[in-house]
Parts: sequence; structure tokens; C-alpha cells
Amino acid sequence: MTDQEGRIVVAGLIKTYGTLRAVDGLSFTVEPGTITGFLGPNGAGKTTTLRMLLGLITPDAGTATISGHPYRALSVPSNQVGAVLEASGFHPARSGRNHLRIYGTVNGYPPERADQVLDLVGLADAGRRPVRGYSLGMRQRLALATALLGDPQVLILDEPANGLDPEGIAWLRQLLRSLADEGRTVLVSSHVLSEVQQFVDQVVILHHGRLVRQGTLAELADRQTWVSVRTPHADRLLAALARTGLDRARIQHTRPDQLRVTGLAAAEIGRLALAEEVELHQLSTEHSDLEQAFLTLTAQADQKPVALLKEAS
Amino acid sequence: MRRLVAAEFHKLVTTRLWLWLLLGSVALTALYASLAIAFGDTPDNPTPPLASPGGQRTVFSVGQGAGTLLAVLAAIGLTGEFRNQTATTTFLATPHRGRVVLAKLITYALVGIGYALVCIAVTIAIALPWLNAKGIQIPLGGNGIPATLAGVVAAVAIFGLIGVGLGALVREQVATVVGLLVYLFIAEPIVTRIPALGSWTIYLPGAAANALTQVAQANQDFLPPWQGGLVLAGYGLILAAAGTFLTTRRDTT
Repeated sequence: MTDQEGRIVVAGLIKTYGTLRAVDGLSFTVEPGTITGFLGPNGAGKTTTLRMLLGLITPDAGTATISGHPYRALSVPSNQVGAVLEASGFHPARSGRNHLRIYGTVNGYPPERADQVLDLVGLADAGRRPVRGYSLGMRQRLALATALLGDPQVLILDEPANGLDPEGIAWLRQLLRSLADEGRTVLVSSHVLSEVQQFVDQVVILHHGRLVRQGTLAELADRQTWVSVRTPHADRLLAALARTGLDRARIQHTRPDQLRVTGLAAAEIGRLALAEEVELHQLSTEHSDLEQAFLTLTAQADQKPVALLKEAS
Repeated sequence: MRRLVAAEFHKLVTTRLWLWLLLGSVALTALYASLAIAFGDTPDNPTPPLASPGGQRTVFSVGQGAGTLLAVLAAIGLTGEFRNQTATTTFLATPHRGRVVLAKLITYALVGIGYALVCIAVTIAIALPWLNAKGIQIPLGGNGIPATLAGVVAAVAIFGLIGVGLGALVREQVATVVGLLVYLFIAEPIVTRIPALGSWTIYLPGAAANALTQVAQANQDFLPPWQGGLVLAGYGLILAAAGTFLTTRRDTT
């Protein structure tokens, strides 16, 4: 075991379709033992990135490695990486159990392994029925069972919550948490933050094929608390704030008479204003929820109004 | 590769299509054998008389008709991965996609041998008693009949390669299957009956299969059997190689 074990490293990944740059110089890393949300609106390049990571699509440039190796160089990939991708289907006439046994045969797993993973995803009773009779949620579970066949160190799931009812999502959250607690790497994509925010530790946010933000969910939440200050002397207050050593990126000049500050408490700003003799008309702490944060981030990258983006996703 | 071939066989037997197409092949063989014997000695029939070795070889060659349906089975086996979107799972388990195509080529060639053996058994079961009743004793070990039967096995197996290769090239299931059926059942039989088109039609796949199995017809020329075998194998290998190459290069989305 090396320190690379279970780490996903994406570096400078580029993929262009015609004139559309689906993935545009994307770099990020995913650490073992965490559940990482891979987020972005539809069309942000999430699926293309995951497919490049899994050797299904050849990138135009850049590299993507799992445990230090490109996917295609892994000796028995299913032993190390399990993946559930959108548009991974099943033969309608084949039973879920036979589907699992076929992919078990490919990797040399014993037939009993199919029954074990069916049990694990709660499909033991439906295993012998043809897949054509499965609901969308059951298909998601079967896809997950397929990914878990090799008891992999790394689990990559593309929009796994699609088709799951609230009970199913709660079950998925529990399963992924227990897998991450065992030290596995879990990467979960979604276009809706609220769908995964209850169970991800880390977020990688993507828009137009570029990285918008990578960090912990807590950091993302922290950025969404700010102090709104209204003053006729915004420039003087801004200069005073800058002198405190506060990162300039944390101060936004939202209107001629308004500043938006993160990283400082309202009381600290009030004290500073008093010391600088800057007249204040408003001083308040404001929040937005994470979903709003996500939309704001992707909207900033897009230069489009938030409302439009909401519709698009 | 053993595991991959075992998995392909498992894929095949967990759906029913192989059985229906085998039954279809048996029915075709029985029909062709019956027609060949019933009309073998009518005056305007282009095949040699049933009492002659050439006429007998023609009767025993009918099992090659299974090749068409086997090619369809093979093409569906490959294109079905894309139609049912199992290709993603398959290529995740085996990122070296050339190995997946190779496993399918081996599998469907082997299935082709099985189809051919069943159809040969059907041919013998129909032809021996019927010809016997006509007073014609068939030496199964003579009159070139063993070579014809070996040719049937080889031809049907090669049609498995053609089906997999074509499927890998086209990917689109309906287009591949319709294309195969229209070509083998309609287009080639018509083309080979137009004398103005010249003698190059002897190099077409169906004609090559006929040559390999030593079909004899007064109104049609065929290559020598071994050349027919080489030509047919050439189609199989070129399609298999091109299909494998493209499958390795294309993105799976």
C-alpha cells in the first residue's frame, strides 16, 4: 500500500467536442476516507470527466489517475474501482443476478458474490426476476451492486440519487458513509447540491468544464455568511478593511454605498468603522443556504442571472 | 481470455435469442435439404443429379444457411451492448476493449461450430433416409462429403466473425441486422444471377461460402473450395480487425 492508494488525481484534463470545450483544464484531487460531491449544473462536464477518469473517453490533454495509475493500466480494475455511470444499462430479459454473475465471471469472482452484493443493496428478493420489471430505483441499486462486486477501494457514482425515493436516499447515505468510514474513496456527482449535501464532506464544483471551487462543505457554508455594510463612505471603509490584512477577495463592493464582507464579524467591522469615523447606515449579518451558494458560484462562472441557471438545471 | 469467453457464453445463454435463431437455422436447413432432394432430379434443375457426388455435396452443404442467422446472433450480441448500454459496464470491467471484441469473436465462432453441427445432424437425418428411399446409397465418408461438412462448419464459424466485426463497425443494431439479412438473402443472390456483372461475383461472401462447401450449380461458377475458404475467412478477419480497431479507439458515451 502506498500513500497514493485510493487517491483520485485529475490534472489538466481537456476534452473538446467540435467547438464545445466540455472539460477545460480541470484539476482536482479526491482523498480516501471522504465522500466528495462532484457538483455542477447539467452540461458542466461532470459525466465527461468521470468517463475520462474511467478510461471510457480519451482526453485531448491531461491525466486522470486512481491510486496513481490511469484506469486502463489497473490490472483488475473492478478490484480497485467500482463505478455507477448514467447510461449504464442492463439487458431487459436478463435477471439482476445473472447480470452480476456475468461481471463476476469476467473478474473471476465466485458466483456467490452476486448473491452477497444483491443482499447488500437490498435486492435479494428481486434478483432472479428479469430487469425489465425493475423500477428506476431498483436499477440504481443493481448498478451499485455491480460496482461493489470487487469490494473496491474507490467508488465513483454519477447521479446515484436519481430515481431513489427519500427512503432510498437515506439508505444510500448510510451505505456510502460506512464505506467512507472504512477508508474508501467515494466520489458522488450531482447537479443538485441539496441531494448530496447531507452526506458529502468535500465538494468539487464544476462549471463549463472548469473548477469553480474545491474544499470542505463547511468552507463552502462559511463563505455563505457575510456582513452587509451600507455607508456613504464605502471607499474609506474598504481601505480601512484592507489595512487590517483581510484578503481583498473577501470584500465585495456590491453597490456604490454597500460592501459585502466575509471573514470578519459584524462587531469587528462596527468597531473599525467607529475608529475610522465612517458613518454607517446598515450593519448586518446575512446568510444564504448552500444551494444558493452553489447556484451563485456557478452563476458567477456563467455570468448569467441565478434565476436562469436555476431553470437550466 | 478464458473468463471473458465464459462471460460471453453466460451473456448468450441468459437470454433466449440463441435458441430461437438455432431453431430458425434448423428450420432453414430442413427446408433447403428438402428442396434440394425433392427437386434435385427434376429436368431443369441447375444442380447435378442426386446420384452424382456433386449433387450429393450440394445437398449436404445446406447447413451453411445457419451462417446467416449466426451472423445475426453475433451482430446482436455485439450491438446489444450499446443498445442496452451494457457496453459501459463491460468496458469498465475490461478496459482493454480489444479483448472484449476478441472474446466475442471466439465465442461466436464456437457457437457457429455448434450451430453447424446441429444443422449437419438435421441434414443427415433428412437426407440419408430420403435418398435411401430413392435408391441412392450415400457414403458419408466418401464422394467429398466429409470436406463439404467440414466446409459447413468453417463457413458458419466464419459468419460469426463477420457478424461480430460488422456489429463493431456499425454499432447500430437494427441497421446491422437489416443490412446483414438484406445483403445475404436478397442483394447477393440477385447480383450473382446477373451475368452482365461478370465473374467478380465469385468473390462475394455468399458465393465464397458456397465454394467452400462445394455447392455445384450449372449456371454459376465458384472458386475452388480452398480459395472460397480463404476469401470468406478474409471477410471475417478484415471485418473483425476493423471492428476491433474502431472499438478500441471510439469513446464510450
